[in-house]
Amino acid sequence: MRNDVTPAPDLGLTEEAHHESYFQLVSRRFARSKVSLVGGCMVLMLVILAALADFFSPYSIYEIDLKSTFIPPQQVHFIDHEGKFHWRPFVYNYVYTLNPKTFQVYWTEDTSKLYYIHFFVKGPEYKLLGLIPFDLHLYGVEEGGTIYLLGTDKMGRDLWGKACQAGRISLTMSLFGTIISIAVGSVLGVASGYYGGTVDMVLQRFTEFVAAFPNLPLWMALAALVPKTADSFTVFVLMSCIFALLSWTVLAREVRGKVLALRATDFILAAKEMGASDARIIFRHLYPNTLSHVIVVLTLTIPGVILAESFLSFLGIGISEPLISWGLMMRNTQDIQTLGQNSWILAPIAFIVTAVLGFNFLGDGLRDAADPYATM
Amino acid sequence: MLNYILRRLIIAVFLLIGIGAVSFIVIKLPPGDFASRYRQYLIDRGTPQEEADRAAQIVRERYDLDKPVAVQFFLWVKGIVTEGKFGYSFAYRKDVGELVAERMPKTLLLAVLCHLISTVVGVGLGIFVAPRKYGFWDNFWAVLAFIFTSVPRFSIAIILLYVLVIKFHQPSLSSFFSPQYVIAPWSLERVIDMLRHIWPVLLIAGLGGVARNLRVMRGNLLDVLGAQYVQTARAKGLTENKVIMKHAVPNALHTIVAYQGTVLPYMMQGELEAAIVLGLPTMGPLFYESLVNQDIYISGSLLLMYGFLILMGNLLADIFLAVLDPRIRYS
Repeated sequence: MRNDVTPAPDLGLTEEAHHESYFQLVSRRFARSKVSLVGGCMVLMLVILAALADFFSPYSIYEIDLKSTFIPPQQVHFIDHEGKFHWRPFVYNYVYTLNPKTFQVYWTEDTSKLYYIHFFVKGPEYKLLGLIPFDLHLYGVEEGGTIYLLGTDKMGRDLWGKACQAGRISLTMSLFGTIISIAVGSVLGVASGYYGGTVDMVLQRFTEFVAAFPNLPLWMALAALVPKTADSFTVFVLMSCIFALLSWTVLAREVRGKVLALRATDFILAAKEMGASDARIIFRHLYPNTLSHVIVVLTLTIPGVILAESFLSFLGIGISEPLISWGLMMRNTQDIQTLGQNSWILAPIAFIVTAVLGFNFLGDGLRDAADPYATM
Repeated sequence: MLNYILRRLIIAVFLLIGIGAVSFIVIKLPPGDFASRYRQYLIDRGTPQEEADRAAQIVRERYDLDKPVAVQFFLWVKGIVTEGKFGYSFAYRKDVGELVAERMPKTLLLAVLCHLISTVVGVGLGIFVAPRKYGFWDNFWAVLAFIFTSVPRFSIAIILLYVLVIKFHQPSLSSFFSPQYVIAPWSLERVIDMLRHIWPVLLIAGLGGVARNLRVMRGNLLDVLGAQYVQTARAKGLTENKVIMKHAVPNALHTIVAYQGTVLPYMMQGELEAAIVLGLPTMGPLFYESLVNQDIYISGSLLLMYGFLILMGNLLADIFLAVLDPRIRYS
């Protein structure tokens, strides 16, 4: 009678039915959250602007032109002063007049001649990504005209180009500092969670101590100690290390918690029984399982460092010329008189906010996605 | 309970010693000791060399700079604890202790005011948005909270300064009082006048705190609202208001208290940033000035004071939490 047994109905649960890898699950959940996609785009945009800064800016930012100091942002027009529509966007040059009594500078548009904006024009030479000699720029105007979309600074440099360039330092320094802090945090976290006992006790007290420290004042104090005469590279590395010094505690705690939970699981026990060394267990089994959390903390630490870096540079105790960052670009705004007459020098705020918001959004989305087995 | 508080106090003392050690390292780290810098300072201002040497020698003896570093640290701490002497500031020509005594109450006042306002407003908003999960107001405040925590506070301060000074011509922003109230005795008008001067700092430092408290309170309340006893309360036929205010909120509040330990440093740093930009005479601008002038005893002492204040805040939050929530185990 054995033949009478009807085969179990195929519920689609048998092998090959539906299997998605961890990363497929993560990316699917990530893509579902609109906010994190927007954050990702914001970050990506800033990275592209910073990497190809020379291409996006029509002028070289290293040229000083004292005749064009503090020019307000130029407006892009389609309709000229006679009301005629032009297909190609154009700008008017600014000419300045002095108030004879107060010597205040007034910039007015010179509507006698319009300058068309062209795309992919030849301009000052530079090296694309620091390697390939190149002289194309995204946009530029005809000979005789100027185009400063965000205005110029005290030295007559294009603020837009400068802000793009500043993104390089602001972003790489925060990334570099965060990566150092991630390295320190993961090592201490794994050690603390895996070995437990006295090691855990000591490391936990140490973490608590560092976490109890007021970040910003200590950052300021240490940054002020960086010698003013040091070369750019040293300053960059020292500043990154200073930021890393205090921001690893969050990660160390999270990794420790994860490792503590994983240590008791069967697959670690199995690995131990098979005679795997501590190093193998840590690097092959434990650490990869905490990696998703590490990446989340990474994206959420970066904005804090960007904010701190910009504040320190704004105060003049962070990085200094020839390095530029968004915070340093705002140094002139400390002088209320300069700011009062040239309010457009606040433009770097927009870049800082975009970066911080972008990373926060991204990190928020990643945090939800990093644990795809949890129900939402 | 008493045992728990005692243990927290002992840990706090150790942390404080650690913070003191780091502050002392900051004092000692720059090349050359305080006396040689003082000598340079005098020479830069036209003092003859021999006289500067003699002054430096006096300073060296007075501040025990010829002793080993460990002894110096001990003497520094002893001076602070017993006499309130933090070291000498050559920019102000007096002991840093006096400067700290002058400015710390102001910092503390701002920090506490900020803290109170942001807690009350943040918790209130949290209670308001949690029952409206994913509704318009929830999303509205979520976006605002994100923006408040993302815009650099120093830039909010600059923009406020710009608007107030250039557009509204508000004078004497960088002081606590208008000239006519500086030496007047306390009265209602004086308090109002002070509030008119300090509200930008309160606003800037408080906004981020409001945003953080809002998010934490909303999360907690949502967790609690999903609990079974809340369902029971609803099943009994209580009004939604009563369910939230009587059953959910009290159980969501203690996490806010625990969270205050994290918010306080954030607030202090906000106050620091805003006060530096706006020039309000609290510890912030003094700290910044000392860093720029390398007036190293001020930097170290203020670093210590910031650490101390935050530590005290944490300690109070812990103890208060233990009193408030009997579920906390004292082990």
